Amino acid sequence: MKDDLATRLAELLAQAALKNQRAFAELYERTAPQLFGVALRILRRRDWAEEVLQECYVSIWSHAGDYAVQKSAPLTWMTSIVRNRSLDWLRRPQREATGGEYDVAVDAWQDETPGPLEHLVASGEAAALERCLRQLEPKQRQSIMLAFFHGLSHSELAGHMKQPLGTVKTWVRRGLERLKGCLGEAA
Amino acid sequence: MARYNNPQLREKLAAEYVIGTLRGRARARFQALLRYDPGLREIVVRWEACLTPLAAAAGGIAPPARVWQAVANRIAGAASGAGARPGLAFWRGLAMTSTAFALILAAFIGVAPRPEPPMAMIAVMNDEREQPALVVSWPPMKSMRDPYVRIRVVQAHPAMAPGTAWEMWMVPGGKAAPVSMGLITTDADQTMRLKPALAARMEGAWGIAMSVEPEGGSRTGAPTGPVIFKGQCVKML
Repeated sequence: MKDDLATRLAELLAQAALKNQRAFAELYERTAPQLFGVALRILRRRDWAEEVLQECYVSIWSHAGDYAVQKSAPLTWMTSIVRNRSLDWLRRPQREATGGEYDVAVDAWQDETPGPLEHLVASGEAAALERCLRQLEPKQRQSIMLAFFHGLSHSELAGHMKQPLGTVKTWVRRGLERLKGCLGEAA
Repeated sequence: MARYNNPQLREKLAAEYVIGTLRGRARARFQALLRYDPGLREIVVRWEACLTPLAAAAGGIAPPARVWQAVANRIAGAASGAGARPGLAFWRGLAMTSTAFALILAAFIGVAPRPEPPMAMIAVMNDEREQPALVVSWPPMKSMRDPYVRIRVVQAHPAMAPGTAWEMWMVPGGKAAPVSMGLITTDADQTMRLKPALAARMEGAWGIAMSVEPEGGSRTGAPTGPVIFKGQCVKML
C-alpha cells in the first residue's frame, strides 16, 4: 500500500513538472498534513510553519522537473525540502524556536520509552530503522530523536537533557555511528 | 578544503546535517560544499532515505486552507499552457532579483576598463539563494574579430570537488536546448573565447547558466549535473 502511494506521488510530481495544476492539488492534498507536521515540530510556531510550508510547495512546484533525477522516494524528497527549509528558517538570528507551549510536547521525550517507534512498527515500514534505533543506548536514541523530530540544536539538547554540551554531542555522534553500522548490516 | 576529503568527517557532517544538529555557519558551509560535491550529496541522500520514515511515523497535522490558497495563487501565474516539456521547467525558473542586479550593474560599469568596447549584453548569475555569484558580459559580437565573453567572479566559491568541472551554458529563448560555452574556473575573473558559431547566437541569448559536470565537461552535450548559478540576459546597447 505504501508503494502504491509512492508510485502515485511520483506520477503526480511528473504531472506537476508539466505544470498540471490539478495533479499538483492532489499532491498537496495527499502530502500537506505530513509535511505540515514536520515543519510544525521543528519550528514550534504555526505561523512560521504555514509560511515555510507555502514556500516549500511553491518550490516543489517549480522544481518538480528535477525530481526525476533524484534517487529518493517522492515523500523523502519532499520531506527533506521541508526539513531543510525549516532548519534554514531557524538559522536567522531573530528566529530562535522558543515556543513555551511546545515544551510539553518535547518533555514527553524525556522518558526513555520510544513513542514514535511504535508508529514505525504500526506503519509496518522501516522495520530496519526501528530495530536499529532500539539497539541504541537510551540516551543516544533520545538525543537523536529529539534533534530529528523537534529540530533541537546541540545546545538545546543539552538544556533539555540537563547534561553538558560535550556529553550530548558525543551521544549524538556515537548514536549516529551505531545507527549507520546497524543499518549497513541490514541493507 | 582538504579536511572535507576525510571520509569519516564527510559521513559525520552529512549525518548531523540530516538530523539537523549542524547549525549556523557550519550548516551554511556544508550546504555550499553540497552544491559542488555530488559524492557528498549521495551520502546525504542515503541518510535522508534512512531517517525520513521516522518523520513520517510521527503522523500529520492538517494545515489551514489558507496555505493551499496562497500556494495556488502563486503557482497560477507560473503555469503555462499544455505542451511544456518537463526538462524545460528549470529554464523557465530563471530569475533575477532587481536590487542585486542594479548593484552589480553599477559596480560593473564602474570598473570596466576604458579601452574595451562597451558591453552589449550582461547576465548576472545568481546562486540558489538568489545572491549574485558571477557576472557575464560581452561586447557586440559582430564588431569582434576574436569574440569573447568576460566573466567576473562576485562571490567567493568553495573549491570544486575532485573529478568535477563547472560548465557554462548559453540558454536560447523559446524551446531551444542550452549550448555549451565551455568550462570555467570560479576563483578568478576571466575571459572566455567563443567559437564563431556560438558568438553569432549570443545576441539572441535569453539566459546563462552553470552546471556541475564530470571532469572534462558534459559528455552528452547537454547539462547533466545540478545547475548552481543562472541569470537572465539583459541588452545594454
